[in-house]
Amino acid sequence: MTKKRTGVFVCHCGNNIAATVDVKRLAEEMTDEETVVYSQDYVYMCSDPGQNSVIQAIKDNQLDSVVVSCCSPNLHEKTFRDNAERAGISGFTCEIANIREQCAWVHKNREEATEKAIKISRSAIRRVAHNKALDPIAVPVTRRVMVIGGGIAGIQAALDVANAGLEVILVEKLATIGGHMLQLSETFPTLDCSQCILSPKMVEVSRHPNIKLMTYSEVQDVSGSVGNFRVKVLQKPTYVDPEACKLCDDCVQVCPVVVPNEHDLGLTARRAIHIPFAQAIPASYTLDVDACLGLNPIRCGKCKDVCEAGAINYDMQPRTVFEEVGAIIVATGFDLYGQENLGEYGAGKVEDVLDGLQFERLCSASGATKGHVLRPSDHKVPKEVVFIQCVGSRDPAQHCAYCSKICCMYTAKHARLYKHHVPDGRAYVFYIDIRSGGKGYEEFVQRTMEDDETIYLRGRVSKLHRTRDGKVRVLGTDTLTGQNVEIDADMVVLALAMQPSKGTEQAAKVLKIGRDKDGFLAEAHPKLKPVESVTAGIYLAGAAQGPKDIPETVSQASAAACKVLALLSQDTLSHAPTVAKVRESHCTGCEMCVDACPYQAIRLLNGKAVVNEVLCEGCGTCAGTCVRAAIDVKNVTQLQIHAMISAIMGG
Amino acid sequence: MFFNNLKPLHGNVYVNETWCKGCGFCVQFCPTNVLDISPGYNAKGYHPPYAKTPERCHNCLYCQMICPEFAIFVKGDDECVKGETNQ
Repeated sequence: MTKKRTGVFVCHCGNNIAATVDVKRLAEEMTDEETVVYSQDYVYMCSDPGQNSVIQAIKDNQLDSVVVSCCSPNLHEKTFRDNAERAGISGFTCEIANIREQCAWVHKNREEATEKAIKISRSAIRRVAHNKALDPIAVPVTRRVMVIGGGIAGIQAALDVANAGLEVILVEKLATIGGHMLQLSETFPTLDCSQCILSPKMVEVSRHPNIKLMTYSEVQDVSGSVGNFRVKVLQKPTYVDPEACKLCDDCVQVCPVVVPNEHDLGLTARRAIHIPFAQAIPASYTLDVDACLGLNPIRCGKCKDVCEAGAINYDMQPRTVFEEVGAIIVATGFDLYGQENLGEYGAGKVEDVLDGLQFERLCSASGATKGHVLRPSDHKVPKEVVFIQCVGSRDPAQHCAYCSKICCMYTAKHARLYKHHVPDGRAYVFYIDIRSGGKGYEEFVQRTMEDDETIYLRGRVSKLHRTRDGKVRVLGTDTLTGQNVEIDADMVVLALAMQPSKGTEQAAKVLKIGRDKDGFLAEAHPKLKPVESVTAGIYLAGAAQGPKDIPETVSQASAAACKVLALLSQDTLSHAPTVAKVRESHCTGCEMCVDACPYQAIRLLNGKAVVNEVLCEGCGTCAGTCVRAAIDVKNVTQLQIHAMISAIMGG
Repeated sequence: MFFNNLKPLHGNVYVNETWCKGCGFCVQFCPTNVLDISPGYNAKGYHPPYAKTPERCHNCLYCQMICPEFAIFVKGDDECVKGETNQ
């Protein structure tokens, strides 16, 4: 083998690296390495002159491999690999030595940091000496998209992708799409009816030729990788054939069981067989199997007896469907922080203490009271209502540490809606501070205070309890006057924190995508990749990624759709060729790597392990498992790892 | 208290104790566990069932259907045939 000719390029990164690492000394010492024939340092290697100097040096010195000591490979690996290609050598013979994040930024002592940077760079040089020139693997693309979650985020993303001509599968856990937005009465800051602006989009989804709607369904398993996912979806039985159902409502009339209605958050009741609301998509009834007396024509069977269309079928079975898709958008939304966690506010057991969504259902024209604000305990009009903000939010000691972002605005909206319904009523708002960043938001809050005469009290509520005369006594402080406040309210509305929904938790597990410390789905980069998940080909939209309002959700959904379209507009995707490779002479066919592979990329053929290069992500789990060292990841072989370790140990 | 005036259907269970042979089908299969075996005996020496929690009966008529001796029947409350109160 002819001797390698490696070039080393050390970046100052302005002062980011140069302040802590002696870059000149680093560049000089690297020439001591056997394989290094060229070394230089430059203030910004990633700048145009810096990049050109790399290309020029490769050409002038006939370099066959390159090490760039600079920032994280997450940032500029692609830049320098492209430069290597432009200079006529394979991009995979270029490696990054991360001396910024892993050295300069985390150390103060210049002498020691320089020593460490030398070791890091030296290990990269030893590694690159064994790197092979590889060609990216071309992978065919499945031009279909799955959207998980049928709220406003999922609906918007599905419509955007479908309008671009791609086939979309929209999976929703509940019996109808619409999500939380459909439960809202009006939306801030324009106070337009939530249902009126959402239902046209829902109708569009149901009529769209490119959208396949799967309601009452859950994603159970996902395999494959970007461009070629295989998703297992379980479709639960509704026991009603939506094609045959004529929506006559006869079945509901005879159903003997009454349970709380989830759509109205328990403010109203429904039957075991029910339609969530009039505009439900798909327009059909669902038989709630938990409430039903028994799926048996002899046991009760009243709904089936009365159904003239013959749409009810007790023998309907759950169906498992496999779908091949190229990309997945996760829009699984939020749940409210449970009232049961709030002992100081009655733990959900004090009557007439509602959460924000319940109050929306009271105000909504299609809601529990047909648009009259009445309190649940005695169905009378409440004359004094207390709204409490930051319930569960911004409380790192006991509840959620984060700000739920939308509560300031929706509480202002609630106070206004209440005053519009009950002009002679009094509305109090307890707040910590008002966060009304957004177009027209600050003006909205001001109008709530001034035009609608809502009384804003800066302070927290310490506790509340029910009095004998049927009121809710609220004990709080007004920190601006320094006085304790005691209000006998008819009704209390809590602006509860948003937390990731149960479905979000489930989706994260099934899709194997990361979550942040609060349980929301983690984006790949907080600033530059806000809609990508850490797994390629899986995108995020809406409140599953973090608390956000409707305009932001819609923007993120459209952004995710745009990312998906950019991904799937390619004929083939290039897959990193740094995949596992089996040394057949050493393989005994013990199958340990087959079991260990998290991507199901290895199988046994004629007693030897075979790697499916398209599925392999090059994680190296198989190499760690193999007892005979018969499997290696290309360009990260065990030989290379050994060389890197010995370089770091000073060998 | 729910805002809409839905009310569960309600039925009253009547047991003809003299016909009962104590097979216990009705007790075992009632979906809302309304019935239980009574400690007393009938003329034939069997323990007939009785409505232990009559308020739970939803008038599904299953006990009436499966009783092999035709010894049990259920009559729905007239006032809530449609399951709605007058509120």
